[in-house]
Amino acid sequence: MKKIISRSLLVLISGLTLVLYSCTPQTCFDETESLLKASFYDYKLKTKLAPDTVTMYGLNSETNKIYENAPKLEPALIPLNSSADSCVIIIRINGINDTVTFKYTSYPHLISKECGYTFYHNLDTNRIFTKHIIDSIHIKTGLITTLNGENIQIYY
Amino acid sequence: MERTSRYIISLLLILFFSIKQVEAQDTLNIPLKIRVGFEVSGPAQYYSNKNILSMEGYISTDLNEKRSFFIGGGYLNYKYSQNDSVINYNYTNKGFFVRAGYDFNLLKVEKSQGKYWAGIGLHYGLSHFISDISFQQVNYWGSESASIQNKTSWGHFVEATPGVKAEVFKNFSIGWTISLRLLLHTTTSKELRPLYIPGFGNGAKTVSAGLSYFIVYNIPYKKIRVITKKDAPEEEEDPNQQGTVNQQNGLRQ
Repeated sequence: MKKIISRSLLVLISGLTLVLYSCTPQTCFDETESLLKASFYDYKLKTKLAPDTVTMYGLNSETNKIYENAPKLEPALIPLNSSADSCVIIIRINGINDTVTFKYTSYPHLISKECGYTFYHNLDTNRIFTKHIIDSIHIKTGLITTLNGENIQIYY
Repeated sequence: MERTSRYIISLLLILFFSIKQVEAQDTLNIPLKIRVGFEVSGPAQYYSNKNILSMEGYISTDLNEKRSFFIGGGYLNYKYSQNDSVINYNYTNKGFFVRAGYDFNLLKVEKSQGKYWAGIGLHYGLSHFISDISFQQVNYWGSESASIQNKTSWGHFVEATPGVKAEVFKNFSIGWTISLRLLLHTTTSKELRPLYIPGFGNGAKTVSAGLSYFIVYNIPYKKIRVITKKDAPEEEEDPNQQGTVNQQNGLRQ
């Protein structure tokens, strides 16, 4: 009988010890928004060159700026509108405005239990932009996620 | 006729000596049992957290003193939500699962005696579940939301369940197992991996671990006689006595 009690106690105690280890709360440490990462390049030298100042805002949202006269911005993180399949961004590089239209498809993605869901975007290869200061825009990675990594290269 | 009699006598002699030999070995009568187990931590957890209702049970049948066939199943109703300034989502998942495989008792028969179990189970699991997801995100463009309703999915997994069980009262056992599971396949897309798969656990990862606590009712259905091999006592050789032993052997020869 003593043997049975001692063995059963061992089973219970070892189980309870494991419970203490299994109850650990967790927090979100990951990025929760998928932002388009844009780097700036010198169109002649083809090398990275952060502009002196960059201002960015959505079309008809001049009062609500993404960046305002941001010095030496590298990279620019541009939010896309998941409720639409395109968005228009005004980019002012060193005081000269250009308008860039991004076309894309959005879909929901689970980041983790702690961080919840976000939208990922697949950037369309069709690029529409004015050429006041911007020379060209190259798409490096069309998949826009919460991970770091250059998506587009803006040559000016 | 004489030749036939000789054969019969020889056979009887062989049979007699072989029976004698078996009787000379140690044997134990071990009861084989049908076990009906109920997982208790799920309902206990529901008592403190009404968002997770998990019920699970199993039936296992001893095939011999070491191995038993296991079949189990359960139900999960899982709700999870986060609502703060950055993360806003609601997730629900309801579903059933079944598991089947073998349990192996690694204890020696002399120790287990049909009452104690310390071993490992190797099971295959199948899960069927329906999930609802709704989330909202606020960014530069305002509030964006998405909702995915009644998404039906399947999950296939394998598990190894090391653990211990002990009989505390006549025919009643308690015990726990650690479950180490590997998700083989799920019909959900990789973008919307389920937060929780019934019977498996965290569906956002390929490997999951869990703990289960069982109360088990044992129904003995058969007794088997198991031969336990007695370890031959090892004689330590004393180098000083070796000569004497050899001498004695020599004398005997």
